[in-house]
Amino acid sequence: MISTIAYGLTIGAILYIISIGLSLTFGTMRIVNFAHALVYTVGAYALASTLSFFGGAFIPAAIFAVLAVIPLAYIIERFVIRRLYGQSIDYAIIATYAVLLIGVDACKWIWGATPISVSDPIGASWTILGVDLPIYRLIIILLSLLVFAALEIFFRRTIVGKVVVAGLEDKEATRSLGINVDKYFSFVFILGSCLAALGGALYVPITSLHPYMGFQVLLLSFAVVIVGGMGNMRGTFVAAFALGMVMAMTGRFWGAASETMVFVVMAIVLIVKPIEV
Amino acid sequence: MQISTINTLKKYDLILVAAVFLAFVPLLTMQRTTDFMIFCVFVLAYDLLYGYMGRLSFGHMLYLGIGAYAAALSAEHFSGNPFLALLVAVVAGGAVGLLLGLIIVRTTGACFALINLAFNQVGYFLVLIALSEWTGGEDGMSAFYDPVWIFDFGNRKIMFGFTLLCLVCVVYLVRRLTSSPFGILLRTIKENETRAKFLGYNTFLYKLLAFVLSTSLAAFAGALTMLNYTYATPSFIDPTRSVEVIFACLIGGAGNVYGALVGGVSYMILSNYLPNYIQRWEMFLGIALLVLVFKFQSGLWGYFRTFITERKREVKA
Repeated sequence: MISTIAYGLTIGAILYIISIGLSLTFGTMRIVNFAHALVYTVGAYALASTLSFFGGAFIPAAIFAVLAVIPLAYIIERFVIRRLYGQSIDYAIIATYAVLLIGVDACKWIWGATPISVSDPIGASWTILGVDLPIYRLIIILLSLLVFAALEIFFRRTIVGKVVVAGLEDKEATRSLGINVDKYFSFVFILGSCLAALGGALYVPITSLHPYMGFQVLLLSFAVVIVGGMGNMRGTFVAAFALGMVMAMTGRFWGAASETMVFVVMAIVLIVKPIEV
Repeated sequence: MQISTINTLKKYDLILVAAVFLAFVPLLTMQRTTDFMIFCVFVLAYDLLYGYMGRLSFGHMLYLGIGAYAAALSAEHFSGNPFLALLVAVVAGGAVGLLLGLIIVRTTGACFALINLAFNQVGYFLVLIALSEWTGGEDGMSAFYDPVWIFDFGNRKIMFGFTLLCLVCVVYLVRRLTSSPFGILLRTIKENETRAKFLGYNTFLYKLLAFVLSTSLAAFAGALTMLNYTYATPSFIDPTRSVEVIFACLIGGAGNVYGALVGGVSYMILSNYLPNYIQRWEMFLGIALLVLVFKFQSGLWGYFRTFITERKREVKA
């Protein structure tokens, strides 16, 4: 039971780190950024392929993975999403999906379609009440709490964060104060993409890497965003851990159904609290 | 072209559609043309939702898959009557559409797109793993249909003729629907839902109705696929394939019956012949989508139409 809870918390932590970017772009730009899944995949691959270059040191490789996606995120934001501002939302969604298709195929081209696996960077585990818990997973949970705290401080204490929060509330009013909201939004976009890459990098040692890994995670983090409320950062935090627990608990009884259960929960949430956007 | 010629052409469009598809037979073989027509039915179903009502869905494969599997299950458990299979498929698609539509239709934009995708994922899981005892899981399932009167669907020619008849009926139905007050209301919802509500329409009901129509038509296309191949695999319900129909809708020009037909045929030609020459098919699809979204939003049919209206102006001048 303890290992199930720990597993749920780990999944929740990674889901949180990935979903926060999706939630922010959803809240600020009102589009589903399918390319988020691409950034996540690229982050994971960047870690796996540079790990040997850094002599097996996990932390510098993870930092490299996070930094490596910044130009990619900038290109997607500047040349795809921003060009479709003011047009139909559907076109922006289709365009980001097209970017995902291109990117996934490029990943397949570069790294091949065979799954790659990376071993646990710490390897040691910690015994609590007779159950072995890998320390790496505990570190992931701690890291997600750290990200949450850092984002809380960023959005409540810094000017940039406050502008973004204001823009989430009312874009027109913020703009009428003479603030170039779009500039801040693109900063948030890149920040969210970096977090997605971090999530991808952290998730690599737990599962294996393949070009289509982004599709699944995208759907899961979308469920998190729906359950937590779009652009609601605390809601995202709670929803990520709750859905992580749902996945772990279902997985304990029927492994194959764990992801489907998340969507069932999402449907129930939508029935109880319909979103009228 | 003279205006009167265009009007005459419009009057006989159903015959023209049939003639064009008949003309494809010697060019492409009968088997391929049947495939094309079935895909066109699916594109028309999708266009009702995306082109007319303005709701982008990333999970319409679900209803195609439901149609195919319902038709297969009907043959296995009830009887080998192909018409019963078609009926069961349409009813199943409509029922699932109604049930899910109650949740889905409330949302718009990005939410709508992804909730459909999520439900499609659930359906894929059900077919692939949870219900694999009935659906055959990854291996898929096959079913055989008894000939009824002259309708022996094992015969290529009869399958082709029947599909052509179905396509013409569906084209007529969709065209009739979209030019009716109901269709105009759907376009109003696409443009501005608040105003439609303000005029006193219960938009939720109309949206639900359009959604159910679209899902049952998609299921009908799935059942036709099943009759054609007598074999259903999980790829019929694979959510990642939903992009195909979006692509077809966009390349033809969304929100137009003929656009949907042009799009369906163009996509099928591309996907049937290009992969022989292009290795990176997904990449090509992605780049083509980007070009469509940025430069060519009205699609092939829209391009053709502006060409004709310009000609009209010249004639008038």
